[in-house]
Amino acid sequence: MIQHFVPTTLKEALKILDERDCYIFAGGTDLMVQKHRGSGLLPNFDKDILYVMNIKELDYIKTDAEGNLRIGAMNRYCELINSSLVPDIFKTVFKEIASPNIRNMATLVGNIGNASPAGDSLLPLNLFNARVVLSSVNGNREVLVEDFIQGVRKIDRQKNELITEVIVPKCDLNFYYRKIGSRKAETITKVSLMGGYKIEGGKIKDLRIVFGSISTKVVRNHFIEEKYQGKSVNELRARIDDIINEYDHELKPITDQRSTMEYRKKVAKNLLRDFLKQVK
Amino acid sequence: MKKFDTSVKKVDNEEKMAGLAIFTCDIRMDDAYFAVQVRSEKAHAKLKGIYVPKLPKDYYFISAKDIVKENVVNIIASDWPVFADKKVNYIGEAMGLIVGPDKGMCLYLASLCKGEYEELEPVFEMKNSYVHKEFTKGDVSKFKNAKKVFTEEFTTGYQEQVYLEPQAMLMYMENNQIVVKASMQCPFYIHKAIVRTLGCKESDVRVIQPAVGGAFGGKEHYPSLMAAQLATAIVKVKKPIKMFFDRKEDITYTTKRHPSKTKISAYMDAKNNIIGVKIHVGIDGGAYIGCSMVVLSRALIAATDVYTFENVDISGDAYCTNKVPSAAFRGFGSPQSIFAFELFINHLADYLKVDRMQLRMKYLVKQGDVTSTSGLFRDPIVLKELADKAMEMSDYKHKVKLYAKDKSFRGIGLSMFLHGCGFTGSGESDLIKAQLRIKKDKNGIVTFYTSQVDFGQGNRTTLKRIVSDTLEIPEDQVIYDAPDTNETLSTGPTAASRTIIIVGGLAAKAAAHLKQIWKDGEEQEIIEPYVGPSYIKWDEAKMQGDAYPGYAWGVNVVEVSVDPITYEVKIEGCWSTYDVGHAIDERILMGQADGGLAQALGWAYLEKEVAENGMFKQKTLADYSIPTTMDLPNMETELIDNPFKYGAFGAKGAGELTFVGGAPAFALALEQAIGRKVHDIPATPEYIMELLNHEN
Repeated sequence: MIQHFVPTTLKEALKILDERDCYIFAGGTDLMVQKHRGSGLLPNFDKDILYVMNIKELDYIKTDAEGNLRIGAMNRYCELINSSLVPDIFKTVFKEIASPNIRNMATLVGNIGNASPAGDSLLPLNLFNARVVLSSVNGNREVLVEDFIQGVRKIDRQKNELITEVIVPKCDLNFYYRKIGSRKAETITKVSLMGGYKIEGGKIKDLRIVFGSISTKVVRNHFIEEKYQGKSVNELRARIDDIINEYDHELKPITDQRSTMEYRKKVAKNLLRDFLKQVK
Repeated sequence: MKKFDTSVKKVDNEEKMAGLAIFTCDIRMDDAYFAVQVRSEKAHAKLKGIYVPKLPKDYYFISAKDIVKENVVNIIASDWPVFADKKVNYIGEAMGLIVGPDKGMCLYLASLCKGEYEELEPVFEMKNSYVHKEFTKGDVSKFKNAKKVFTEEFTTGYQEQVYLEPQAMLMYMENNQIVVKASMQCPFYIHKAIVRTLGCKESDVRVIQPAVGGAFGGKEHYPSLMAAQLATAIVKVKKPIKMFFDRKEDITYTTKRHPSKTKISAYMDAKNNIIGVKIHVGIDGGAYIGCSMVVLSRALIAATDVYTFENVDISGDAYCTNKVPSAAFRGFGSPQSIFAFELFINHLADYLKVDRMQLRMKYLVKQGDVTSTSGLFRDPIVLKELADKAMEMSDYKHKVKLYAKDKSFRGIGLSMFLHGCGFTGSGESDLIKAQLRIKKDKNGIVTFYTSQVDFGQGNRTTLKRIVSDTLEIPEDQVIYDAPDTNETLSTGPTAASRTIIIVGGLAAKAAAHLKQIWKDGEEQEIIEPYVGPSYIKWDEAKMQGDAYPGYAWGVNVVEVSVDPITYEVKIEGCWSTYDVGHAIDERILMGQADGGLAQALGWAYLEKEVAENGMFKQKTLADYSIPTTMDLPNMETELIDNPFKYGAFGAKGAGELTFVGGAPAFALALEQAIGRKVHDIPATPEYIMELLNHEN
């Protein structure tokens, strides 16, 4: 018999997680689809469920002393979109995720935990070097989102751990973002790109590029990014073709029911070119 | 003649808005069992047997062995079995049903059932014809005198109906009758399907229509299969039975629009006059013919669209493939061939180096012209006026030049099209033979009965208006309920854009008849039979004569922009003009206009359904994208009044017409935007990228 746990404190939740293997249910917008069995039937859960939506202490959005944005695990997209603390580029991304009714339920942390190659929030999180806080009865640890997601639905989480917080460092860049789906709303990403840059004195101070839906996880190459730091804007613009070539081996899209390998790769490169042309 | 200058509130508005309308799944029947199909996993195989696990008490396996009379679903060709017997012909074909009290248990038991197959070579390409049709007009031997020949091929893809409410059926016994409540288009199709498979009397079966959430042709034939299956089961199980499809099942296993492949050649003399055209239309019918021969007929009759040529050679084939059978979908074959011809005539103009619009206007059909099937276009044609109006609304002439000049990745396209209303040829008089019952009680309350289903298009409202306005009595003095086969005679299926032109005409006639003999304080009843226009003469075998009692006409203009980085298309504007005779309720018509065009645009550039090894790849609405309101601009539509003398108050059909021209208008706009010829739809960004990778 499956048991349902609806704790109201983090301590309680972590204790339950320590004692048993549970599905963690926040907004449920991915889980209910994955476990769907048919209309009029209960979903097909094969182990206990821990509902975390009633843990009030995880419901916050704040800025800490270092200027990091701290988002509690219970925050849903609709709240983040309306918060004055959340950077605009995150809001741009969130507003293109699913539909208003899904955004009223779904959490940012859920999108991280689901670890889909098409997860849109993973792009800004990656670009901002965001970290997740994993809590268990043994304490907390922090992991970069980039490292936390290891592959398709594979994450660096122990069975007794709960993602309790997302830490987004301050990042003052010029941003570029394009999500390409099959239509203008309520669409799953076929390919996406987010870029960020900062120029000081005609030189590249910071350059960051992430691709979505192009591999098993978000693609980011720190080596290429760092190579162009300190270079002049003119040099960067002169070497756009080289940069696109350097990313070639990183872009390993697949052909599936939504698009083709050729399209995804070509458009990813087009988007990269479009972004780099805007660096000035 | 009454002008119907106002639009009224649809009679079902409130119950639908408030969520009060009772759809099939909402009907509570606590002792009902569930039925789940046991489906073939093979596209083509001999079926040696079916492994069925030991069933718990109250669970049943129903298969071909349980057939009472005939293992055939009563769909035109009568080749589709109720349950696969000895052979399976497509993945998903029902080999049996698991029936029992718990749906979850039924699903589990069905998943354990396995066919014992001996695999046969499946066919997925269009190469084995099971229906061939051909006809000519004029003298096709003149083609050999041609100095130039221009040939092109076009393809169109599958389309899923995406009605809001998936397939659903409830069947139970009451007063010694089998009673069916279902999501349907054609109550009497279901009725006949049950009578045929059980070999029972007509009076043993009753079909009642609950609220229906959309159909678009997808509920014309598939419910007959479900009904024949449940009827076979109910004889054995003797319990009420429900069969409700989830969206994924519905997309994966129910009928879709026929994919098509059309080849067109034009033959020109030395002065570039067109001697004639030769057209072949191939449609992918899937594993069973079902209604494919009729879909093919319509595709062929419409193959020269709105143009008249002296000499015409038209042929076509419906091909048998080991895939889910294709069947009815708004337009019924004509959108496929009209898409091809509208693009072809524009490409031909480029080949001949003449102005596109001039060439089209030169061959544009006029009143008195001979149709492709050697019938006559008898009624006034206002197509030129429709085109002028649409061009003015959209600023077409200016834009078409502007976008031709620069590389703005913008384009505008204009399509002209027609739709024959009602059943082909003399089908209305010879096959359907509609009879409409109308009665009046002592208090002057009038009740009339049709078998027309209102699945959202508004005919409950419109037909009622026709009767009350003819009788010149208030609408609340007229009762018009959803069909119940115990009460109504058959006025035919809700299909083929025939509801208003045929049944509406019949209702007006019956009401006028009642008005003539009206006696206050008396009960009166009339049964009014349909009598078609006497000029309709049709030879189905030779495909010669007048194919339809009347034609509705339209022009669509679509403007698009293309993102050169992502190859995504944005629809920038849509302008339409239609001649639907006389619109009975303009707001209802605008609903059809916007919905039909949106659905056509979806087919043209978004909706991709591909079968791989006999299995659809896109099984959910996350993967099969239909346009949202965000994808569409405000659509502007105007009507030109051109009353049709045989329709109610001058009305012709409109439901399908609004679908027919969207794809070619879109494709022509896209061609201009990207500077490449389009031959295939859906024109997804993936396809556009490929076009741009190649020189024209």
